Amino acid sequence: MSKAIVVKSLRKKYTVKKRGLFRRVYEDIEALRGVSFEVNYGEVVGLLGPNGAGKTTTIKIIATLLLPDAGEVYVDGFDAIRQPNEVRKRIGLMLTVEKGFYTKLTGIENLEYFGILYGLSRREARARALELIKLVELDKLGGDVKLLEEFSLGMKARLSFARALINNAPILLLDEPTLGLDPPSARKIRELVKKLAREEGKAVLYTTHNMFEAEIVCDRILLINKGVIVAVGSPNELKRLIPYNRVINMVVKGDGDAHSIIEEFGLRGLSEKLENGLFTIKIHVDKPEEILNEIVKKYVSKGFNILSLKIEEPTLEDVFIYFSEGS
Amino acid sequence: MSLIDLLVAEYRLVYGELFRRKSAIVTMIMYPYLFAGFTVFVGYAYGNPQYFVERTGVDPVVFMVTASYILMALMTTVDELFWRPLVDQWVGTLPYILATPVNRLKRYFSIPIPRLTILIITGSTSVIPIHVYYSGFKGLATGLSIILLTTIGAIISIGFSMVITGLVHRIGESWRTLNIIRPIIMILIGAYFPRKYMFIFARYVSYLIPASHVVEIIQGLMSGLETPLYILLSLAIALSIIYTPLGSKTIDVWEKKKVREGVKFS
Repeated sequence: MSKAIVVKSLRKKYTVKKRGLFRRVYEDIEALRGVSFEVNYGEVVGLLGPNGAGKTTTIKIIATLLLPDAGEVYVDGFDAIRQPNEVRKRIGLMLTVEKGFYTKLTGIENLEYFGILYGLSRREARARALELIKLVELDKLGGDVKLLEEFSLGMKARLSFARALINNAPILLLDEPTLGLDPPSARKIRELVKKLAREEGKAVLYTTHNMFEAEIVCDRILLINKGVIVAVGSPNELKRLIPYNRVINMVVKGDGDAHSIIEEFGLRGLSEKLENGLFTIKIHVDKPEEILNEIVKKYVSKGFNILSLKIEEPTLEDVFIYFSEGS
Repeated sequence: MSLIDLLVAEYRLVYGELFRRKSAIVTMIMYPYLFAGFTVFVGYAYGNPQYFVERTGVDPVVFMVTASYILMALMTTVDELFWRPLVDQWVGTLPYILATPVNRLKRYFSIPIPRLTILIITGSTSVIPIHVYYSGFKGLATGLSIILLTTIGAIISIGFSMVITGLVHRIGESWRTLNIIRPIIMILIGAYFPRKYMFIFARYVSYLIPASHVVEIIQGLMSGLETPLYILLSLAIALSIIYTPLGSKTIDVWEKKKVREGVKFS
């Protein structure tokens, strides 16, 4: 069986027009700089990266909605650049959640419309729409009879996910499918994604900013930063890629510069100032037992009260931050 | 992918929008009457009805009501195709539509049909009563002939509208460009201002619009003057046959441009 998605050395440059005082100024932005990866059937692959890393550009190219400057993309063995219609038949697409439906139609009518555009007959489109409305549990929320304009964001997201399944495509491209959703809707979508990959063997390419979600949904994660894939692996494999194996998590209270203390020890870490003089601090270390006492003493000597302290394994968020540092 | 299924999908979409938005349906029914009323009022206020009859061979009220009906129906085809890509962009459906393998020619053919159907039906409350009132039973036949010819004119305008749609959206600034092109087409169709009174350049451009030939047939039918019916009809159909593949190609070129630039998601 051919690979679901094969991406080879993908490059894309955008030219941004800026209006100067007397003439237009053009600036080139390299969105993708030689991205290569593969997605297998039955696998959920997460595409993670900070804003502007190239996630959506990659999805757009695979979905035949953008042409790359260089590189190759194959979907189920078909060339996305030269055979876009063959690729379109094999892809289910979920983009932004809030937009993309006709507001004066019901959820079922919207699904039927898109089903027919995918080549289903009226009967097939109707039957598939009813089946999907039940699958995403929109029938319980009245989504089968309500007009789109009456839908909440969570309902729209469920419908958007149902639309991605309308043509029963073997490959799903989901661009931040749970963005801005309430926990039940987000959980429902995550469950369905996993189920579709495990039980129906669908290949899923999934972009998200939510590390917790990536960890529980994705079999493999591609970390992308500044248009380059910087790391690939399962969540556990990725955690082993970073050059420290523990994180000291502290909450301290005080008036001084909490971050400079991390730098004084020559360690990597993050600090975030909260309200009322509170700071959250993450310090990346290899052997916490060797340095913990010194760090605590330093904070106390600088007038900070230590409110909590935990030593934990690095999370996927630590991996994400490590690889996207400086972006 | 059958054309019937696409037509049904479009009927559901357009009628969902129309019948669930009361103001839209009321406006759609009222607009031809308001338009005709306004032009007749202006004509009577500043012109001479007798002179109008001498020039056109038709009573101004009959002419204006019929012209409004013809123009509304023909412009429905043009407008539905012109604005649909913009509407899809605004509501955010454009990327999803471009990502489907739907046959573009079939889809664009089916887009104007639902609204056109309503417009054609409204002829039974405007064109037919006015012709029956002025000409009795003969007027009924004239009215029905006008509705039939208008339907043919609207359908053969699809290819032409696709060409303009593809070109305008390809060039960009489509909102502004369409607002300039649309009134020019309205004039050149010749419903209000018969082609024979246009200045020479406009007349030649008008010959390139398939619907203008059908309008000329309808005006001949109303005035009782002899018109080369078969020549005009053949010309209109021939133009439509030329424009349809050309329209399909221009739509394809526009889509390719969109994909080169990247289809925006929001």
